[in-house]
Amino acid sequence: MSDIPVFFLHGLAYAGLLFLVSSGLTLIFGMMNVLNFAHAAMYMVGAYLSYTIIMQLTGQFWMALMICPVILFIIGALVERFLLRRVHAQGHLGELLLTFGLAYIITELVKWYWGNYPLAVNVTGFLSGSITIFGFIYPIYRIFVFFSAVLVGGIMALILYKTRLGIILRASVNDSEMTNTLGVNVPLVFMGVFAFGTALSGFAGVIAGPFLSTFPGMAQEILIDAFVVIVVGGFGSLGGAVVAALLIGQLQSFGVLLIPKLSVALIYLLMAAVLIIKPSGLFGEES
Amino acid sequence: MKKKFVYGLCFLTMVFMLALPVFAVAAEDTIKIGVTEPLSGTFKDIGERYLDGAEYAAQVINESGGLLGKKVEVIRIDSELKPDVATRKAQSLILRDGVKFFCGGTGSSVGAAMEQLAEKQNVIMFTYGMDAASMTGVKCNKNFFRPGGSTDGRSFALAQLIAKMKYKKVAIIAQDYSFGQEALAAFKKELAKISPNTKIVAELYHPAGTKDYGPYVSQIITAKPDVIFTPNWGNDLTLLLKQGRPMGMKQKVFSYYINDEVTIQALNDDKMMIGNMGAEIYTLSIPTKKNEAFVAKFYKDKGYYPTWLRGKAYIATMFWAEAVKKAGTTDVAAVIKAWEGLSYDGPAGVWTMRACDHQAQVPYWYTEIVAKTKYFKHAFEAPRGMASAKSVEVPCAETGCKMK
Repeated sequence: MSDIPVFFLHGLAYAGLLFLVSSGLTLIFGMMNVLNFAHAAMYMVGAYLSYTIIMQLTGQFWMALMICPVILFIIGALVERFLLRRVHAQGHLGELLLTFGLAYIITELVKWYWGNYPLAVNVTGFLSGSITIFGFIYPIYRIFVFFSAVLVGGIMALILYKTRLGIILRASVNDSEMTNTLGVNVPLVFMGVFAFGTALSGFAGVIAGPFLSTFPGMAQEILIDAFVVIVVGGFGSLGGAVVAALLIGQLQSFGVLLIPKLSVALIYLLMAAVLIIKPSGLFGEES
Repeated sequence: MKKKFVYGLCFLTMVFMLALPVFAVAAEDTIKIGVTEPLSGTFKDIGERYLDGAEYAAQVINESGGLLGKKVEVIRIDSELKPDVATRKAQSLILRDGVKFFCGGTGSSVGAAMEQLAEKQNVIMFTYGMDAASMTGVKCNKNFFRPGGSTDGRSFALAQLIAKMKYKKVAIIAQDYSFGQEALAAFKKELAKISPNTKIVAELYHPAGTKDYGPYVSQIITAKPDVIFTPNWGNDLTLLLKQGRPMGMKQKVFSYYINDEVTIQALNDDKMMIGNMGAEIYTLSIPTKKNEAFVAKFYKDKGYYPTWLRGKAYIATMFWAEAVKKAGTTDVAAVIKAWEGLSYDGPAGVWTMRACDHQAQVPYWYTEIVAKTKYFKHAFEAPRGMASAKSVEVPCAETGCKMK
């Protein structure tokens, strides 16, 4: 049992990945009340773009980490401005169907452009190495995944709670008409939020590439986990997403070690338990 | 009066339409074989490689005068990897075009459904890549043949290799569904029989499509095995190595499908692969004259190599053609009878179709991944001997097959 710290690290690394994927999703849901089914597809686009940038164009992982979120930001802004805003009046069903259809279209486009087989995204240099912790060899990249998540979460919290922009954002959510009257361009704010959320998914895609596999099924694979995170954490709650990701990461890691037969079911059991005890999620607001 | 005329016209049209396919068949006298593979969706690249091998076999047969004086015509069936889709399309080909022969390599679930359809419609289905042992075991029937490998054969061959190399501690890991469980069960059974001193130090099952292998790899490392055995394939093999190697999982991995060029390419890191070993019924590197001639001809015709999937489909289709040739007719009952007990000496050695369960008895060829070969820009397979068909044989009485 001397290897328990390693399992804790595994849990942290996976929690980091989960948070990166679900942060954009929860932001968009929390701010705009849109359940974005195309989120995971955007994440896949991020991963494939990083393949093109790293393996075909520049060879630089850092370059992909900077460029991909920008491209996804633009895509997100366009999707909000020209698609989402038009169906907004029809309520949630329209938005749901739109993003659902978008997910399929994006997946097919990815297959058409990049091909229907797995691609390799390799990191080189410092990030590809391993270090020894607690007497165990541990890959630096896994630690990097966790710290990227901490960084992203930190920046999001700072913007939301410590800046003027954050005040405007929260005001737009609470009472968009009043905020509009006060001279804030609320539609622009929403476009920004959606674009930023999409950029986050792109960032997560770049991070996931060298950790997981870049293939056309990667979106579906992560979508369910991301939804579990935002359901458990409470729809739209950033703090909730942090706690839920950490919880699920550890549950997954120690579940495999201690009760392997049940490990797959554990996170769904957690979700069911949370839904029964507190249907709005751990940090969700009671409606 | 007018009404009667319209009815009559309708009736005539219908008769004509029904008769049309018959004319079509009569006009173009070929032996048709339907190849059921996923030609769209996630597993498209696998289906296309199998199809390529089967089509090449038809090409070779046709170049040398055809089969029973007729040309072999391959009909592509996109199974979408769904049993109901494959059988619906096959059914219509049977009824409309009188197709009597089907084959396929991807998805034991598709195979099992096709196996039932073949019996019901009295056609022949054969597979070169659907490996679940039960298809020539409890589910067997006289219309289904497997000129290919099975989980039993592969696990036996690899257990023998590990015993021969005198490893004492083995960690085994597999996907947690029937395929993975059958593979590990067969491996354990054989290892206990031939090398009782070799210990299984870790036995792990993970869901197919696992994303984080960290917790599994840590358990393997803690168990300190000499080597690792896994039937994992595709992404589940890629990620085991991709995430395991940087964590210090240095052991040789013995795997069913280690020489899959797509897996090696998806890893794109040869040092994670070098030293791993596998057992396969057809590999490029089989060191026989017949195989070298086949590989050379294929390369000349196509400009690329007949890697494992292509080779398996090619040999199985050639084997089927031998059976038709021996029968001297395309009559299904006659071909079944001709195929039973028939041997085919092809690029992968002598394959013999056993009558009791329609499972071909085939040798398994060992490979090891080495840094450089002439075939591929990445690390790729080199030959490491073989397990004879006899040594991996499952006795008729133990298969669970009751042939009607």
